[in-house]
Amino acid sequence: MKQKQYGFWHKVKKNRTLLLMLTPAVLFFLVFAYVPMAGIVLAFKQYNYSGGILHSPWNGLDNFRFFFGSGDAWRVTRNTALYNIAFIIVNNVLQIFAGILLFEVAGKWFRKITQTILFLPYFISWVVVGAIAYNLFNFDVGTLNVLLKGLGMQPIDIYNTASYWPFILVLVSAWKALGYGTIMYLAAITSIDTEMYEAAEIDGANIFQRIMKITVPNLIPTVIILVLLAIGNIFRGDFGMFYNMVGNNGLLFSNTDVIDTFVFRSLTTSNEIGMSAAAGFYQSLLGFATIMLANYAVRKYDKDRALF
Amino acid sequence: MMNKKKKLTVTLATMMTLGTILSACGGGNNAANTGAEATNGTNAANTATDSGAPDTSKEVKLKMILVGGQPGDYDKVFGELNTKLKEKINATVETEFLDWSDWTQKYPLKFAANEDFDLVYTANWAFYNDQALKGGFMELTEDMLSKYMPQTWAAMPKVNWEQAKVDGKIFMVPNNNVEVTDKVVLYREDLRKKYNLPEINSPETYANYLKTVAKDEQAVTAFGAKPADGWKFHELDQILLEQNNNFNLVDANLLPLAYKLDDATGQIFNIYDTPEFTSLLEYYKDLADNGAWSKNVVSNKNDVWQDIKAGKVSSYAHNLGTVGANLSEMRRDKPDVELGIADLTPDKKKIAAIATQNGMSIHATSKNPERALMLIDLLQNDKEIHDLTMYGIAGTHYNPEGDDKFSAGPAAGNYTGFSNWGWNSPLNRQDAAYPKEADDMFNAWQANVYHFPLETFVFDTAKVKNEVANIGNVMLRYAIPLEYGLIDDLAKGQADLIKQLKSAGIDKVQAEMQAQVDAFLAAQAK
Repeated sequence: MKQKQYGFWHKVKKNRTLLLMLTPAVLFFLVFAYVPMAGIVLAFKQYNYSGGILHSPWNGLDNFRFFFGSGDAWRVTRNTALYNIAFIIVNNVLQIFAGILLFEVAGKWFRKITQTILFLPYFISWVVVGAIAYNLFNFDVGTLNVLLKGLGMQPIDIYNTASYWPFILVLVSAWKALGYGTIMYLAAITSIDTEMYEAAEIDGANIFQRIMKITVPNLIPTVIILVLLAIGNIFRGDFGMFYNMVGNNGLLFSNTDVIDTFVFRSLTTSNEIGMSAAAGFYQSLLGFATIMLANYAVRKYDKDRALF
Repeated sequence: MMNKKKKLTVTLATMMTLGTILSACGGGNNAANTGAEATNGTNAANTATDSGAPDTSKEVKLKMILVGGQPGDYDKVFGELNTKLKEKINATVETEFLDWSDWTQKYPLKFAANEDFDLVYTANWAFYNDQALKGGFMELTEDMLSKYMPQTWAAMPKVNWEQAKVDGKIFMVPNNNVEVTDKVVLYREDLRKKYNLPEINSPETYANYLKTVAKDEQAVTAFGAKPADGWKFHELDQILLEQNNNFNLVDANLLPLAYKLDDATGQIFNIYDTPEFTSLLEYYKDLADNGAWSKNVVSNKNDVWQDIKAGKVSSYAHNLGTVGANLSEMRRDKPDVELGIADLTPDKKKIAAIATQNGMSIHATSKNPERALMLIDLLQNDKEIHDLTMYGIAGTHYNPEGDDKFSAGPAAGNYTGFSNWGWNSPLNRQDAAYPKEADDMFNAWQANVYHFPLETFVFDTAKVKNEVANIGNVMLRYAIPLEYGLIDDLAKGQADLIKQLKSAGIDKVQAEMQAQVDAFLAAQAK
């Protein structure tokens, strides 16, 4: 059947309400994401005040030399990616688990209260979390060590031992993100057609079968979208987290340094805007490449579930 | 129906996630946005060249940036100041304060964003060279200085202007005040007496004191180490590594490169690669192993002086002026605690602060540099305005005692804590309660101040900025834990540090610095 051709303005007019609703989001991204993108030119410039962004002299790839010449580029890039992969896996598994538990547990009040409690850490700033961690883990008067000493055991020197930190960071990240993700997954579970559960129950499926055969498969699209979105940021370390948890503790850098903290530390004293722009550009490129790849992989597997 | 619901969920999930991402972006983009505002050309440095007396017929509003918290009685004191300024130079001034907690991040942004301001506090420890080289300050010619600030031009020793030069140009009106930069330690005299320890006057006697306190005073941490916030050398390093060996680090905030004070040829060397540093490491390790400071020293974020005041810490190292003020504060608030001040390197060479220790600069894009200079002239050399801005309102914030002393007034706490040192001058009054021992020490030092050819040398990092950034990182990662005795194998630790510095490019930086030093000395010899 041949479709009738409508003009552009006709379509605009027809969808004007939807377009109007879209405007704020478009404006937001235009102002905060697309316009600042032009700032990438700074990565290739020797920034000075009188020239500003547009008229500072070009200096080719000089700004990139600092990062790649440091000998640490590979280490911090690897750390960033590994931490984010760990966060994605651990956080999503825990969140799905908690979401299913909350869904299955009866009692509206219990569910509401648990949700709220789980959600609380999300609102605690990393600065405060850093202080809490210090009070838990410090060697002399930290809760953990006081407890260990009380039990007649040797205190552990957490702030001077790098190998504990990957676990601590993953744990803290999971604790903080749990409530937010749980609510998202709970919403997804709630919208699964209840008729399926009823039918399964009549057919004699027990609770584990219901979860494994109905809930989990129905969650997969949500999981894929969330993971894809997270993968785009896999080369961006959560600066607030790493900086407030680890600070300037050189002993821990080997296991905790991510691109963002490395660049911050190197450049706070020299304030070379061009060099930080170069590092940001590098992260964006890597992030872009990973999300394209991941999306491509999902498309191959199931076209409908890809982001684009 | 089901499909629709699924779509809805997916959309909801997406939106929530986007929400998080967006909020994260919002934070991250701030810097970029302020950067974007800096595009407009900034070459508008209009230096007035017309002759004759300065024209003040048009009223102007000046904007000034100082570091430190805004004092409680800012409105009162600066209101009074503005009445006087209106009369004298037909101008008023509005001040913005950059709080101590984050001024190092905000200060460069003020320039990068090219905000509208006329005057700004600056110092060799507060971005002076950096911002001058980046073009943040207006160049001050002798014509401008003599014309718009005649009193300052007459009162300021010529050497101060020489010291304020970066690349041969003046960008700052330095303060006019003699200061010695040597550091001292503040300690608990009552504890020293309690354990019957010998007088503290050397690194050894100090170590003895720290170890005794660590051993016998369970509730007290012997030494309050400086919280790690990105510094590379702390005050105790300055005492034990620089003062004790007559070394001087060229830029202690950036690089481990130093020269000997009495070396006329200005040989630059890597301070980490010296036997003096090796023995300092042993000294520190001994203290660390004896529990002189907390094992969490690099993660601690407490204010050391507040810990000392609360009796939790027994000692720390700082400027003489600062510990002198600490001492009088303790005497006022907790008279039962007895503190002492000790110079651990009494017979070594004392270095005077160069004039750029404090000062005021004009923003490169100021529209009223003439009036701004006239304001600095009054701040520094007009007795009435100097007193007002330094000490507040007489009878409220301070009580004048004679012409050169003052005592704290009832509301002294409401006008203090920010960088009005930028216009320190011979008109400064001294606190009548300032401890005599600190004053005596200062006077003794002043008689022995050592001047040396490289005193005013400034390193321009432009050619080696990649290396400098990486070296800073290596210092934080390898040197600081080593110094605090957190690494067991000192020899290996030091070798690692030196090796990492080499791969970060220390040799190239050293060669560049040596070349600049040689050129500087050659120019001086002419």
